[in-house]
Amino acid sequence: MSDELKPDALLDRIDYTPAAGSWMDSTVQIMPGMYCYAAKAESVETLGLPNARTWNPLEDDWKLPENWQEIIHNAIKERLEKFRTFKVFMDICVRCGACADKCHFFLGTGDPKNMPVLRAELLRSVYRNDFTKAAQILKMIPGGEKLSGGRPMTLDVLKEWWYYFFQCTECRRCSVFCPYGIDTAEITIMAREIFNLLGLNIDWIATPVSNCYKTGNHLGIQPHAFKDMLEFFAEDIEEITGVNVEPQFNKKGADILFITPSGDVFADPGTYTCQGYLILFKYLKDKYGLDVTWSTYASEGGNFGFFTSHETMKRLNSKMYAEARRLGVKWILGGECGHMWRVIHQYMDTMNGPADFLEEPVNPITGTKFENAKSTKMVHITEFTADLIKHGKLELDKSRNANRIMTFHDSCNTSRGMGLLEEPRYVIQNVCDNFFEMPPNTIREQTFCCGSGSGLNAGENIELRMAGGLPRANAVKYVHEKFGVNTLGTICAIDRAALSTLMEYWVPEVQVYGIHELVGNALILPGEKERETDLRLEPLPGMEDEDE
Amino acid sequence: MMPNQLIDLNRQLELNKEKILTLWFEAAISSYPEDTARLLGKSKNRFDNPVGNITRQSLEDTFDNIIRMSLAENYKDYTNSKHSQTNKEHVGQNRVENSLDPVIRIRAVQNFSASQAVAFVFELKAIVKSVLGKLPDESFNYRVDLVALAAFNRFMKCRENIFLLKATEAKRRVHSAFERAGLVTELTEDELLGSSKS
Repeated sequence: MSDELKPDALLDRIDYTPAAGSWMDSTVQIMPGMYCYAAKAESVETLGLPNARTWNPLEDDWKLPENWQEIIHNAIKERLEKFRTFKVFMDICVRCGACADKCHFFLGTGDPKNMPVLRAELLRSVYRNDFTKAAQILKMIPGGEKLSGGRPMTLDVLKEWWYYFFQCTECRRCSVFCPYGIDTAEITIMAREIFNLLGLNIDWIATPVSNCYKTGNHLGIQPHAFKDMLEFFAEDIEEITGVNVEPQFNKKGADILFITPSGDVFADPGTYTCQGYLILFKYLKDKYGLDVTWSTYASEGGNFGFFTSHETMKRLNSKMYAEARRLGVKWILGGECGHMWRVIHQYMDTMNGPADFLEEPVNPITGTKFENAKSTKMVHITEFTADLIKHGKLELDKSRNANRIMTFHDSCNTSRGMGLLEEPRYVIQNVCDNFFEMPPNTIREQTFCCGSGSGLNAGENIELRMAGGLPRANAVKYVHEKFGVNTLGTICAIDRAALSTLMEYWVPEVQVYGIHELVGNALILPGEKERETDLRLEPLPGMEDEDE
Repeated sequence: MMPNQLIDLNRQLELNKEKILTLWFEAAISSYPEDTARLLGKSKNRFDNPVGNITRQSLEDTFDNIIRMSLAENYKDYTNSKHSQTNKEHVGQNRVENSLDPVIRIRAVQNFSASQAVAFVFELKAIVKSVLGKLPDESFNYRVDLVALAAFNRFMKCRENIFLLKATEAKRRVHSAFERAGLVTELTEDELLGSSKS
């Protein structure tokens, strides 16, 4: 590692015994608990992706196409020409080791091949062997192959790629520390594209993608069930507040189209965040006449296509603009999600835009122009809510969240991917009095991943997820012990699901909340009755003893 | 062992605590691949290097508990039925198990076999012998055995915890939301989670 190369220390510690062997020579052992099940053939078929079949990563025969090596070689070649970043990242790493201990999977699992530098080297070694002049010349001398740091593509190498590129959540923490700015996530993205050319996706990605392609959301919920679920939330809210929030669906000519990850609609505890959105929209409708519609077709903000290939991501993403065009809204508002925002912020505009049929987003209530969304036409709901609060447009009763002692987990994609750091904090501090930050080296740009992102939130790899989430949980545990924190706020649907399980293993006293759940609790709806419970139907602070 | 010999041994352990702990920590992290072990031993920042720092702290707490162990604690506490245990003995075992929890909880999700996960406990026998020289009798080794038993207990609890999370996670996430909405009417969440509350 870079800071270890001090001459005296180095000379003192010269060890003359030969090394146990190079990392390149070892065969990968695919361990239960650390890998995800193979993609179902039918899900691969739906998307028309190659080599749909039943296969098992634990078996020797992965049922690859006969010319699989040629497919990989050509795929790398094509991507080196197409993506300048990929070409640069293959060449410029000096193996300084600055990234080595920055990856949550390395820190949690202790497996050296999860050091970002070494994970990338798995692919780089084949790149060197196949594509660099130096390797081609060195190959001519005996033993020269090793000198170039290259190795030929074998089945063992492929299996090792597969095992470790599905132990990377594309969180990009390592890239923050790389002096060259190498984005290891992009290397993982390329590797996963290559896997899909061979039919080597995992099912936790492939089936949601297939569902989304067929029915508009990852869970494969059909439009009527989507509508049922939101109407059921409206009933719950009416019970708590006495107000019918009346969600609108597929309304042509509405001001704003709202799109959120389907996890908010169908999975706890995201469902409570969803109820928060509904309360906010009702408030804005009654107070300011803002007309927000949901879509039962663009019913997914997330995009697991991003974890499959650029083309698949594009196909799934296109429905957002298509639906906005069909409904004739002014612009799009997006819910609390992580990778959804990486796709929107960094890809959507060039992939499926320009969306010049939409207006440049302006908050009609405050007049604020969302300059950062000028081109994509899509605004993050915490930007929107923070703006409303800043202009004094929301009536909030913080005391309803008085029992929440908060900390905030920056989701990798919103913090490192789009720089959304202050808005969620601002919203939290306006709806809740007790907020404590985790240590600086674990938040904001340096935030630790939940350990389950990029399609790895499956059940079968739970050991990997618990180990990968350890650095995050460790920081939560610290603020829990020091400040009595009992609530972990987050603005990502995967986080809401993944961190709940993570907390249960490492810090069971801490519960996970979406930020708009807290907004929903605090917001005073016009004409509401005195609330006795929060959105989880737990007694509000001060109401605990009313029944007794 | 006579009480004054016990006091003497405990004093020796106390005096040599730093040295013993350093060796014990090194032994524990040497169960990881060499490249990993080097990094685990390096950073003292508990957030940059969670496994290294949690392991070190957990070993220290456990070591303190070993010194505090009374002679009354013996194998029988583990082999006899629950009824024969006094509250005091319970407390002793729980104390040791709790101090081992952080390190065992980590090792339970790191692809170690059960024996690999707890083997570091036994290393303490050789380490203490090498640091203190000849021990007056077997009582120290005996205490280490008790710690090993506690480590097995804790390892099993963590694994059971993992299996339960694995079994109930999807149901809790999606099923319970559907259930509240009346879209499914199968087992209730309480029924599904019944085993976690026992």
